[in-house]
Parts: sequence; C-alpha cells; structure tokens
Amino acid sequence: MKIKVTSIYVDNQDKALRFYTEVLGFTKKTDFSQGPYRWLTVTPSGDPNDVELQLALNNNPAGKKYQEALFGQSQPAIMFFTDDIKGDYERVKSKGAEFTMPPTDVTGSTIAMLKDTCGNIVQLTQLAKW
Amino acid sequence: MVSAPSNSNEREVGDEMNARDEYTPGPATGVQIHKSEAENWELVVVRELRHPPEKVWQAITDPAHLREWSPFDADKSLATAGATVKLTTVNAPQLYVTETTVIRADEPHFLEYTWGANPIRWELEPTANGTRLTLWTAINRRFISMGAAGWHICLDILDRLLAGTPIGRLVGADTMKISGWQRLTNEYAQQFGLEPPKRFPQPHQQQKP
Repeated sequence: MKIKVTSIYVDNQDKALRFYTEVLGFTKKTDFSQGPYRWLTVTPSGDPNDVELQLALNNNPAGKKYQEALFGQSQPAIMFFTDDIKGDYERVKSKGAEFTMPPTDVTGSTIAMLKDTCGNIVQLTQLAKW
Repeated sequence: MVSAPSNSNEREVGDEMNARDEYTPGPATGVQIHKSEAENWELVVVRELRHPPEKVWQAITDPAHLREWSPFDADKSLATAGATVKLTTVNAPQLYVTETTVIRADEPHFLEYTWGANPIRWELEPTANGTRLTLWTAINRRFISMGAAGWHICLDILDRLLAGTPIGRLVGADTMKISGWQRLTNEYAQQFGLEPPKRFPQPHQQQKP
C-alpha cells in the first residue's frame, strides 16, 4: 500500500483550483466530472509520482461542520512541508495569500499558516536541522 | 405501465448481455447547448420515444426504473413535489450522495429537481407516436460534450427499457469503455464548436477493492 492521494474539503472547487495552482504554485493533475461529482486533484510539483491532493467539494453536512470548527479554532486542515519557508512565505504572500501566522519558530520546526480562501487554514512547515 | 424491472445485478446472463455488448450509440443528434459567461452551460436534450408519457413518467420518477438507466439512484420516488430525495451518483469514484427537494411534479408532463448543483427539468409532450421528451440541465462547460454523450447513451438505454428489452444502464466509467464513446463525444464537441475532450486517465481504479 502507499499513499497516493489525500483529500481536503473546499467550499468551491473552481476557487480552490485557482488558489492551489496560481497562489500556492501547485499543478493541476486530474479534473473530471460525472454529473454533479467532480474529481479534482493537484500535485505540489507537477511530478506525476507526487502524492495528489484532492480538492473535494464539501457538500457533506458533517464535513462542513468539521471544516468550520477547525477553521474557527485556527487549526490547519492540512500541512505541507517545505525546505524554504521564508522564501515560500514571501512568494505566496506576493500572490495575495492571507497569512494568519508568519513564519514562526516552534519546537523542532518553523511554521506559517494561511487561508486557502475555500474554508481552510493551511500550514507550511520547515523542519529544523538537528 | 411497465412492471418494475428486476435489479440488473440479479438478471440472468444471456441475450441481455449480448445486446449490451453489441450496443453502440448512433450519431450525435438532438442536443443543444446554450453558452454563457457562467461556468455551467445549459444543455437541452430532445428525444422522441415511441411510448406514452405515462410510461415515460414512471421511468423518470420511480427508483426501480431509474436504476435501469439513470446516472443516479433515488432512494424514493421523484413523482411528488416537495419530496426530499437522496440521489446517489452511480459509479462515481467516491460515494457521492446529494439531497434534493422535488420542485415541481405535474404527472405526466413536467418534473423539476436538482442533482447536486445541476438543475434538472423534464418535459414530456404527447405526440402521435408517443412522447417528445425534453431534458434541460446545466453542466460545467469543460465537460459538456461528455455530458451530452452521457445523456444520449442513458436515453438510448431508457428507450430499450421502455420497449421491454432492457440492457442495463451504462453510466460513468462503463460508458467510457464502450465503442463509440470517443466518437460520440467528439461529434458533440464539434456540433458545439468546442475542442474534443481529452481522454481521461482512470485514476479511480484504485478506489475499488
């Protein structure tokens, strides 16, 4: 077994695609639709072997409650790792992203948090070198 | 009225399977789209059926009949205005259930509800030979040629069900496997003045056990 895809709920898939590609810099991987259902994934680097992030429409009342509660507590719905958090922070910020936490040193890592415009807080993490 | 068909999974393998294997859609016809600034464009499908509106009405509202041809399953009848019905998109790569409230149900002429965010309106007009069925819906512009082809095939299957020779529904990934799918989507794309849709990879195969 392997992890090939992980999902995040979004309140609008078109808006999510714009944010994750144009602002965060991911690449669209798969986009198809069947009736009202739309399977939409992006990858961080465009490498076909990357783990995919599914941008799933949150039309599930239970999922919505969970998403809103996390967001209300400023808890990230997902975490991405980077080797250059300062550089990514400047780059993503210059594209208009709203950060709720600038790069901040915490135990073992530096983290930053931003809004994905689709109902989620995203955390960027750079592990400290030991 | 046609009697309620048995579940396709329980049917004997025989002539029906051959008919299903041999099925190939005819040329693209009877579908129009209305382009707009919106992300979703209106799709209008017109089909002449050699069966009376009452019989077609049953096939578009009754869960047992929908199971034979429709791209979604309904947990109860769609024939009552105000009814809350759960629609399950068939063969989607994840269990995908949306709830709808039937907006209008004038048996056997007019039916309106939503499928997720997509509006669905059916009109059945009696003709000398049976029924002129018109379906209005809206589909994301990038997938509209495939949507047109999908409804085309579903209505072919519906026609066979009404004729008493059901071949089992063809929706989702099953549709993409049949010969003629690519041709049909390309023909609709051409009629609509759009780029032919790209072949999809099959990313959801790993979802099935």
